[in-house]
Amino acid sequence: MESYADWLRARGDEELRALLSARPELITPVPADVAALAARAATPAAISRALDRLDRFTLATLEALLVLPRPVRAKALRTALGAKPAEVDAALDTLRAYGLAWGKPPQAAPGVRQSLPQPAGLGPPIAEAFAGYSRDRLTVLVTDLAGAEPRGFTDPAGLITRLGELLADPEPLIADAGPEARAALEALTWGPSAGRVADARRPVSVATAATPVERLLARGLLAAEDDRTVTLPREIALHLRGGRLFRDLPAAPPPLAAAPAGEAAARRADLAVRAAAGEAFSAVRRTEELLERWGLDPPPVLRSGGLAVRDLRAAATLLDVEEWHAALVAETALAAGLLTRSGELDGEWLPTPAYDLWLMRDIAGRWSELARGWLKSDRVAGLSGERDDRDRLINALSESVVRGSASAVRHAVLRVLGDAPPGAAVGADAVRARLDWLQPRRGGALRDRLVEWTLREAAALGLTGFGELAPFGRAALDGDDPEADLDKHLPEPVDRILIQADLTAIAPGPLVTRLGRELALAADVESTGGATVYRFTPTSLRRALDAGRTAAELTELLTRHSATPLPQPLAYLIEDVARRHGHLRVGTMTSYVRTDSPGTLDEILADRRADTLRLHRLAPTVLASGLSRTELLEGLRALGHAPVAEAPGGGVIVTRPDAQRAEPPPATEIVRLRHGDTADAAMVTAAVRALRAGDEAARLGAEQARLRADAPPGEPPRSPSVATIELLRGAVDRGTRVWIGYLDQQGQSSSRIVEPVRVEGGFLTGYDATRAAVQRFALHRITGVAELGDEPSGTT
Amino acid sequence: MTDGPLIVQSDKTLLLEVDHEQAGACRKEIAPFAELERAPEHMHTYRVTPLALWNARAAGHDAEQVVDTLLKFSRYPVPHALLVDIADTMARYGRLRLEKDPVHGLVLISSDRSVLEEVLRAKKIKGMIGDRVGDDAVLVHPSERGALKQALLKLGWPAEDMAGYVDGEAHPIELAEDGWELRSYQREAAEAFWHGGSGVVVLPCGSGKTVVGAAAMAQAGATTLILVTNTVSAHQWKQELLRRTSLTEDEIGEYTGAKKEIRPVTIATYQIMTTRRKGVYQHLELFDARDWGLVLYDEVHLLPAPIFRMTADLQARRRLGLTATLVREDGREGDVFSLIGPKRYDAPWKDMEAQGWIAPADCVEVRVTLTDSERLAYATAEPEERYRFCATTATKQRLVQTLVERHPDEQVLVIGQYIDQLDELGEMLGAPVIKGETRVRERERLFDAFRSGEINVLVVSKVANFSIDLPEATVAVQVSGSYGSRQEEAQRLGRLLRPKASGQGARFYAVVARDTLDQDYAAHRQRFLAEQGYAYRIVDADAVLSGGEI
Repeated sequence: MESYADWLRARGDEELRALLSARPELITPVPADVAALAARAATPAAISRALDRLDRFTLATLEALLVLPRPVRAKALRTALGAKPAEVDAALDTLRAYGLAWGKPPQAAPGVRQSLPQPAGLGPPIAEAFAGYSRDRLTVLVTDLAGAEPRGFTDPAGLITRLGELLADPEPLIADAGPEARAALEALTWGPSAGRVADARRPVSVATAATPVERLLARGLLAAEDDRTVTLPREIALHLRGGRLFRDLPAAPPPLAAAPAGEAAARRADLAVRAAAGEAFSAVRRTEELLERWGLDPPPVLRSGGLAVRDLRAAATLLDVEEWHAALVAETALAAGLLTRSGELDGEWLPTPAYDLWLMRDIAGRWSELARGWLKSDRVAGLSGERDDRDRLINALSESVVRGSASAVRHAVLRVLGDAPPGAAVGADAVRARLDWLQPRRGGALRDRLVEWTLREAAALGLTGFGELAPFGRAALDGDDPEADLDKHLPEPVDRILIQADLTAIAPGPLVTRLGRELALAADVESTGGATVYRFTPTSLRRALDAGRTAAELTELLTRHSATPLPQPLAYLIEDVARRHGHLRVGTMTSYVRTDSPGTLDEILADRRADTLRLHRLAPTVLASGLSRTELLEGLRALGHAPVAEAPGGGVIVTRPDAQRAEPPPATEIVRLRHGDTADAAMVTAAVRALRAGDEAARLGAEQARLRADAPPGEPPRSPSVATIELLRGAVDRGTRVWIGYLDQQGQSSSRIVEPVRVEGGFLTGYDATRAAVQRFALHRITGVAELGDEPSGTT
Repeated sequence: MTDGPLIVQSDKTLLLEVDHEQAGACRKEIAPFAELERAPEHMHTYRVTPLALWNARAAGHDAEQVVDTLLKFSRYPVPHALLVDIADTMARYGRLRLEKDPVHGLVLISSDRSVLEEVLRAKKIKGMIGDRVGDDAVLVHPSERGALKQALLKLGWPAEDMAGYVDGEAHPIELAEDGWELRSYQREAAEAFWHGGSGVVVLPCGSGKTVVGAAAMAQAGATTLILVTNTVSAHQWKQELLRRTSLTEDEIGEYTGAKKEIRPVTIATYQIMTTRRKGVYQHLELFDARDWGLVLYDEVHLLPAPIFRMTADLQARRRLGLTATLVREDGREGDVFSLIGPKRYDAPWKDMEAQGWIAPADCVEVRVTLTDSERLAYATAEPEERYRFCATTATKQRLVQTLVERHPDEQVLVIGQYIDQLDELGEMLGAPVIKGETRVRERERLFDAFRSGEINVLVVSKVANFSIDLPEATVAVQVSGSYGSRQEEAQRLGRLLRPKASGQGARFYAVVARDTLDQDYAAHRQRFLAEQGYAYRIVDADAVLSGGEI
């Protein structure tokens, strides 16, 4: 009889490739031959992963295969599922492609039955349900049902078989048990098949049964599973279900919201894109605002590794958003590699050098990095501020926000949005309903919350607008380049500002970076958004002067970039602040005050508030103080003066805040296949090939060696290591075979023929024709490479 | 990306580029739901506030229109969150309605039971409402109509007041348009008020707010109570009404310290209304003395707190507030909106100037430098005396004289805060001084003399800040002010803005002591005017004294 492995072996290469692409965990590592593949495919872990990928209808079809009597007839399957032939065939095709069902007539693959203990919510069949009954109880049961002592079959197995026969048509028995009992059965009909009662194993007979449950137990319509559980045997449930296996089984996913008609749809879609672009722009701006602040004033890393609630709150206030949103900004920056913790102990959250590179990109480029980071991140910003199982607060940026399924759910949710017709907004409920159909086994409270968070976060990041996936959001989701599309909707950077007589300057768009920084130095930002409003105040101008700008430079900068003449009050203000700026000079070493006008010193000394500064006069133009320079500066400023700090040589000390940066820990690339990951095509092809070769080898036994490609005679080639990588990369691109010399871990050198699949992480992966297997070679152990012709020989 | 004139900021301000060709159209469309906050030369700033959005709803605009307008004119994409927020805020309006029920009288009705439950649980609301009538309605004590509206607004669930207004006692009033006619904006303002039922009209000084009041009275055709700031102002209202309307001397009563007349149109001062004897407001009955069809509040930004409380009881009567600036130094703008009504009309000052309705004004800040000895004295002055010291410094006196001499043939007002300083100036300039102790009759005589040109220079204290009509003043010199009061500055500038017969522009000097508190306060005061487009030029006193061009 054909086995599952035989069936697999008989599949075409194309079909095998499809199987391995769909279940990439089967080839990590690549099994030796198809028999090994079949064994691995039947392991509970592999089955469980495959089942997770099935939609509701396909999963139901598989369950039906387990429940229906074998061989499963097409008609019986259709009836059980209540579906059309085409729908059932499509589901069977999927199951075969996944290797979960096989053969004709179809049957479930080995291992599936164990992974689905209660298919279609059905209880155990009679043979299993009553297996725990004692001989005496079974005898009572059969006697009651048959109306006479059983004769002949007195061992338990025989009694159970007899019971099965007696229960073949349960309808009269159900009618006999009364309407209340029928209602009790109906409650269990569609699953779960077990119910809890007190003292389930009490002895009952038809004559003594008092309650509905006792009447059912006495007639074998319910079986006692243990002391407190009764279960509905499968045959009875099937009878009650009237031939159908599922109460409500749509063959297609639930429909998404209907799109508005015609022009309204286009208008809505256009609006959604614009709203999304606006939000995308804001997301970039918020990230920059937060990291600029943290660069100057970094929050500490908690001992448990996160961001303190207080700091998160401060970030929310700074960004003028809610706390979840601030957490999202921080987590996204972390995921995009723009933020990291410095040091091991007493660390701080600081921008990375990558942040500076990020700043140099245009808005669309910056956004695409953020979107990519968010999509792939396994961190869930929405969890911050909640409590974990042990009632500890979950902090943003800590390890407790990691959830393995986050990225997969994010993708799934956005795909659902992507399936919606243009102009239709899809709500969280619709997304959840669809995901429940598409991935019924991955549901649960966490996913439901992730759906909600994903929608909220996608809107906040500008991947969606009004619940619709924007084209650039779709591009980011598909791994394409979203920049060109987003760019169309974003404001161009400007180098022109409008300066007004109320001492404000308006940048009517994002400023070119240099001008933006200069303005931020000389003026306070009053409002941000599409434009930025700056306000000049004496304090802000003094800050610029403190940072080493001169009045002339400031005036020149503003005149050059202003679209209109510089208003007189501003020009006057700059002059006025500059006139007073540096009027007084203060040094650290000796803590002195000196000025060119003795009158000013008279004034200071006469001021009673200056007493606390402990000043005394050194010369008509010099004062000294016992205070530190800083205190003295503060004190003098409080008196309304504008002193500057002075170096010992008499030069002005420029005080400009230096933004800090930290290096992220070296990222260790862990190649890990997750849910939803697909193996790349080349890898799959190589694996199929190795499997075939393995099979062949197993079949031919000793002849195996002959089938291997022989390495060419002579010394293995030698090439410098840089050239090695170049050559290998070239071979991957062209799909050609190479001859390599390899030094294994024991120091043995060997010569191999390899079809390279990929070169990454310091390893070459490829089909080794000399060993007939997929192998990994450490690049530094490859002594040399030579290219061979692309005609594989010997292995086909 | 479009090329619109509007930029939407994330703090819900809207920046409108004035020189853009679509600016006019855009302004018209955003005005219903955004407050004009600043109007300097290039970019006007509007703010979208919940209150403004609710007013827009009250005026029949829906969220979709608002969102559409923003998207239509916005130069850049508008953040999604902001649009959602606007829609959410607007959806809060009208869930609660105040209605007149034929059986129960005034009731609060809700179309959303959970909202009703929420507000009924609020402590502040408890005392204002009576029994539940049905699931979705609750009785309201008629006297609490205003207070309830105020409280609901604070809770974020503004009630739509559909209970209507009492007509009041009818009294025919006609505008007498002989030799003058209602200006277009005055008509628009009066109509906007009438459609809205109650509310505030914001127009710059000199643009004829009194006439708007008269037009509203003519619309109402009912007995009217007018509340003004002081007695002089009351006289002027009377003169204006006699001139502009069909009302006769006998129909207009004055209710002031001196006279207590109650007539179909009665003009009362805030002062008399808030006079208490033994803790009781004695003149409160004036509100009930007649069945007023209209209550008119002049200079609503000065409305004292007791009047607010009295106004809360007047919600069934139409109310019109008039002001030049809704800036209140006490921050009670919200109370003005909820008790008198939302802003029904305003216009940027500079627009009105461009149309010739108000005179162009040139504002100049002259900075005097304290002498060294003055500086020394300033530094040693007690904190509470410091402002007074720098504001009244002797160096200013000579400068004021020079400034006045520069305008020999013009009507000049010298305005200040400190009486000593004003007396000194009056003596130095040979000009009469009007201050708090000057009798009303004497004040009016001097004003008349100034008006007729007999007197060229008048020194006034802050008593003259409000509602005096000095049509021919073309120059004002401000030597000191009430610390940093922005609305005082606006009022003072307003004295000059009435259009001049000569078509000449006005000049407003502010004399400020450099590097002192005076300068800081001046900067604060001037901010409002700068935001209205009246930016100060700054010149040094030395330049003026040495005869330099200003």
